[in-house]
Formats: sequence, structure tokens, C-alpha cells
Amino acid sequence: MVRFQGVAMRYANGPEVLKDVTFHLEAGSYHFLTGPSGAGKSSLLRLMYLAHRASRGTVKVFGHDIAATPRRLLPGLRRRVGVVFQDFRLLDHLSARDNVALTLRIAGVREDTIRAHVAELLSWVGLGDRLDATPATLSDGEKQRVAIARAVIGRPSLLLADEPTGSIDESQGMRILRLFEELNRIGTTVVVATHDQRLIARFNHRVLRLADGQFSVERPTSLSGI
Amino acid sequence: MVRRQFDLPFADDGSGRFLPWMIALMVYLASLATVAALTTREVVERWNAGLEGTATVEVGPAADDATTEVLVAQAIAVLRNTPGVAAADPVPADEIGRLLEPWLGPDAARENLPIPRLIDVRFDAHTNVDVAALSRALVTAVPSARFDSHGLWLDRLQALGDSVQLAALVIVVLIAIAAGATVVFATRAGLAVHAKLIELMHLIGSRDSYIARQFQFHAMSLALRGGVVGVLIGALTLGALTVMWRPIQQAVLPDLTIGASALVALALLPLLAAAIATLTARITVMRALKQMT
Ligand SMILES: Nc1ncnc2c1ncn2[C@@H]1O[C@H](COP(=O)(O)OP(=O)(O)OP(=O)(O)O)[C@@H](O)[C@H]1O
Ligand SMILES: [Mg+2]
Repeated sequence: MVRFQGVAMRYANGPEVLKDVTFHLEAGSYHFLTGPSGAGKSSLLRLMYLAHRASRGTVKVFGHDIAATPRRLLPGLRRRVGVVFQDFRLLDHLSARDNVALTLRIAGVREDTIRAHVAELLSWVGLGDRLDATPATLSDGEKQRVAIARAVIGRPSLLLADEPTGSIDESQGMRILRLFEELNRIGTTVVVATHDQRLIARFNHRVLRLADGQFSVERPTSLSGI
Repeated sequence: MVRRQFDLPFADDGSGRFLPWMIALMVYLASLATVAALTTREVVERWNAGLEGTATVEVGPAADDATTEVLVAQAIAVLRNTPGVAAADPVPADEIGRLLEPWLGPDAARENLPIPRLIDVRFDAHTNVDVAALSRALVTAVPSARFDSHGLWLDRLQALGDSVQLAALVIVVLIAIAAGATVVFATRAGLAVHAKLIELMHLIGSRDSYIARQFQFHAMSLALRGGVVGVLIGALTLGALTVMWRPIQQAVLPDLTIGASALVALALLPLLAAAIATLTARITVMRALKQMT
């Protein structure tokens, strides 16, 4: 599904924010990505959702070596990736409904299908009565839920969530994570970046850890003793 | 279902404020140039059709009216004896008076002013008349006669008409180029303003063509709006000119009523502007996006 081999990354001419990262995410796996602030979690995700090119090494997503993939094939790959951005990146002039619908519109889904699906999903994340609200009138937690809805509405095969529970209360957070579990159960590969160790402890998933430029993969805690 | 809203917030990027007015101005100028060209062509054609195969003979006034009548009769006799001349008729004196009225006043014909007499000549369409020989024969018979075949005058009129049309065509082409450049400028500015959102749209799987379509439709609707305003102001201007023209025209100048072809051309101008805007915006966006990842 996703394979990194000796990957390094830098912004423009800055220093390398990732050095020599190697891992493999199997299809249908669920990983937490953790590490202190500034460790490079968001940067690693950027490589996975094809927003940035590696400065060294190979990044393979869905079996495609990204460095060698022609530009015209990228939209197709990106549509199979759902992203919850750390800063949401909602379109301020569009309603919650249209923000979520954008994913489907871009993919050319019919308008009546879009309407039904979007309303249903937004209701599910507790925003059924805020369909026509613009981001400016939503709380951070509500914005985050719109961002999550936009990421999952297209049934992506790879879901990347950058601090998806950062702005919402614990019960809402658990609800969202259970949605991710549900999506994972039906085959979606999930990566959740978070520095919330309690969250990681509560779920039994493998952990990708970034610290001091070092990258490591940890087995789930319950299995670590075996 | 048609959505009226764009995915990109064009409403607050400023393009909506200046592009329609630029297009309105350009379409306004183009409408004047177009109507000038088409009207000139119609006038030239009408005069051509009316004057082709005709000539006028002018007989200078003699000491008294009776002598002038004799000279006119002599000239008409020469004309009618020439093979190829289908008709030669004196222009009645009161009609000459009417022609001169704007310059000499309503009583000119009655005040016994020494006014030359005119003879309308119509040639047989199938015979080639040696105009120079006819002119010489006329002057021999009636020294004060002057032969005007209209040919030179019509040639000059035709040349003038052609020049006006060429100039109008060049003007319209230049305006189209300027409109295209304006749209390129506005579109590039839009791309810069919305760069973050365009990146986001790419990241959630948008193709370049989807983003280009947003810019295209936006440019099209602005150009269409501006174009309609421009052409309406153009029509008002032309209407006012026609109203001012009418009293003068009855006396001397040709009828400059705007014809059907000019109206069709006017209606097409906003569509042309919209087409140019759409195409230019698309090409600009597709080119710019190819440079992005
Ligand atoms: N657009 C950018 N341009 C230059 N440097 C950047 C950019 N984005 C991030 N960085 C740098 O890259 C490093 C990793 O940042 P990143 O955002 O990936 O960390 P993170 O682990 O997601 O942190 P956080 O937990 O605060 O979200 C940091 O040193 C940061 O300053
Ligand atoms: Mg981050």
C-alpha cells in the first residue's frame, strides 16, 4: 500500500526534516504516527498524500513509484487517499455541505448522489443542523469534523489523519476514532498522526515513532511482550 | 442540477470588479468600429448600384433661359444619337432647385440665378460606350457641356469604403488581442490569489481541467456581462448618432440607417468576447498548472 525506502525530505533549501525513513504499510493496516512537535509527522504525511517529493529514497504509494509517476496519473492516486489536514484547510466561502461535497464533485459524482451522501455523513458527525454554515461560523471542533467528513466521503483506500482529535472533546474524539476503526475494518488503510499518548494506549495499533530524526516502528503494546 | 457557486472564491479576488468594465469598454469600441464598417459597405453598395451604368451631363447656363434650353436640347440630341445610350433626360429645373436648396435657400430656382442644367444619362448594359469620344462629341456640339461618368467618383468611394472596412477590421482584431491579454492578466492574478486553494484541490484529486473550468466559467460570465453592457452603450451611442444624422441626411447625405447585418454583428460581439475570455482563461490556467506538482 505504502512503502518508504531510505526516504529523506527537505523544504526548499532547508535542512532535512526527515532522514532515512524506511517502512511498509500493508493494505488494511492501522498505524499511529507519533513523536514530539516538530518531529516531522505532518511532513511524513505530506509525502504520503503526494504534496511533496522525497529528496532521497523511494516513496511508493499503491505500487507506484511517485518520483517516476507522470503528472496526469496523480489525480487518480490522490482520489484514493483521504486526508484530514492538521489545519483543516476548509474553503472559507463554501458551506460545510459544499466543503464535503468538493471531494465528490472533483471526482465527477452526480449531484443528487452527492447531496444524499454528504447530508448523511455530516449528520453522522453531529453536524446535521449545520449543513449550510460556513467555516467562519463553526467552532474548531466542528471544523475538524467537517474536515474529517471531507476526507472519508470518497471512501478512500488510504486515510491519513493529522491530529484529527486535536480540537474536539474526548467523547467526540472517541466517536471519530471509532469511525476510523470501522473504515479500517472494511479495508481502509489508516494512519493517524497524534502526540496524544493516551489515545495511542487506548487502541491496539502499531506505532510509527519519529524522534530526534530517528524513525522506528513499534508493535502494538499488547503484543510487544511476545 | 446546475450549481451557481464556484469552488474558488472568485467573488473576493478583484477580477469581478475590473474585468467586466474592461470588456465593456472594448466591446463598446468594437461595436462602433463594426457598425462603421458595415454601414459604410452598405452605403457604398447602394450608391454603386444606383449609379452604375449612369452618367450626368452638366450644361452651363447661357445668357438667358431660352438659349440654355436650346443647348440642353442639342446635348440631349448628341446623347440620344450615340449607340449604347439607353436614355438621356433633362433633370427638371425644380428638382435641381431642391438639390441646391440646402446651400442656396428655398427660392434659388425661382430667382433666376445662373444655375447649370443637368441631364441624366443611362447606358445600355450590353454596349460598351467610348466615354471619352462621347465626351469630346458633346463638347464639340455644346462647348459649355461637361460630361461626368461617375466612374472616378465611384472608384474613390469604393476605395474609401474599403479603407474604412480594413481599418475597422484591424481595430476589432487589436481589441480582441487586448481583451485576450486582459483575461490572461486577470487569470494569472486569480491563479496567484487562489494558489493555496488550487493546491488543496489538487491534493484532494482535482484534475487541471476541473480547476481550469472554474476559471473558464468565471471569465465567461464576467466577459458576457461586460460585453452586454458594452454593446448596449454602443447601441445607445449609435441610436443617438442616427437621430442626429436624420435631418442632415434628408438634404444631402446618404441614408445611414443601421442595417440588419450590423444588428446581428452587434448581438454577436458579447458572445465573441465571452468566447475569447473562455478560451484564453482555459489556456492560461492549463499552462500555469502544468508547472505545478
Ligand atoms: N512549509 C515548511 N517550510 C519549511 N519548513 C517546514 C515547513 N513545514 C514544516 N517545516 C519544518 O519541518 C519540521 C517538521 O515539521 P512538521 O510539521 O512535519 O512537524 P510535526 O511533527 O507535524 O509537528 P506538530 O506535532 O507540531 O504538528 C519542523 O522543523 C518545521 O519547522
Ligand atoms: Mg504536524
